[in-house]
Amino acid sequence: MSLLSDQDRQAVRERLSDIQQTVRLLLFTQTIGAPETAGLARQVLDELASLNDLIQIEEVNFVLERDRAAQYGIEHIPSIALLSGDEDTRMRFIGAPAGYEFVSLIEAVVLAGTTDSRLTEESRALIAANVTGPVDIQVFVTPT
Amino acid sequence: MELTRKFRVTGVPKTIVNDGSIEILGALPEDAFVRGVLGLPEVDSPPQ
Repeated sequence: MSLLSDQDRQAVRERLSDIQQTVRLLLFTQTIGAPETAGLARQVLDELASLNDLIQIEEVNFVLERDRAAQYGIEHIPSIALLSGDEDTRMRFIGAPAGYEFVSLIEAVVLAGTTDSRLTEESRALIAANVTGPVDIQVFVTPT
Repeated sequence: MELTRKFRVTGVPKTIVNDGSIEILGALPEDAFVRGVLGLPEVDSPPQ
């Protein structure tokens, strides 16, 4: 059963039509002992992938593939790493991207699937002039 | 849950930069957000 209404599916499909290159979503989860949110995360990603052929989902077992989890800096499940083709975008989602987080996921997927960040020239200049080392940004969109 | 406790998240959105060196509460316009993340002072808007 679809999580989205037909109308919402069409709206998301239209938003995703901006994607120009393959976006791979690595869902880190586990088979045994996974939290309830893991199943929901998989449902959400499957729904998203059904709306654009350039979106690919790959499930990674957090327990059996520890090296891969470490490679992507994954410490919690479910977590999602976004790749643009084979390149790590360094965008991560922790938890099931449902509710308001779904909109953030859509935008992240579009960002990963295009070459334009849509930042203003001023923002780009500030970043180029002031970023001299790694910057880790975590955005909490729900308090739980 | 442990992450929200670690960073004392009581309101969202809350942005944490570099494990807490900078915290931004709420949604900001792009220019203010970029400045905030970079730790730069705000620029006052010209009076209208």
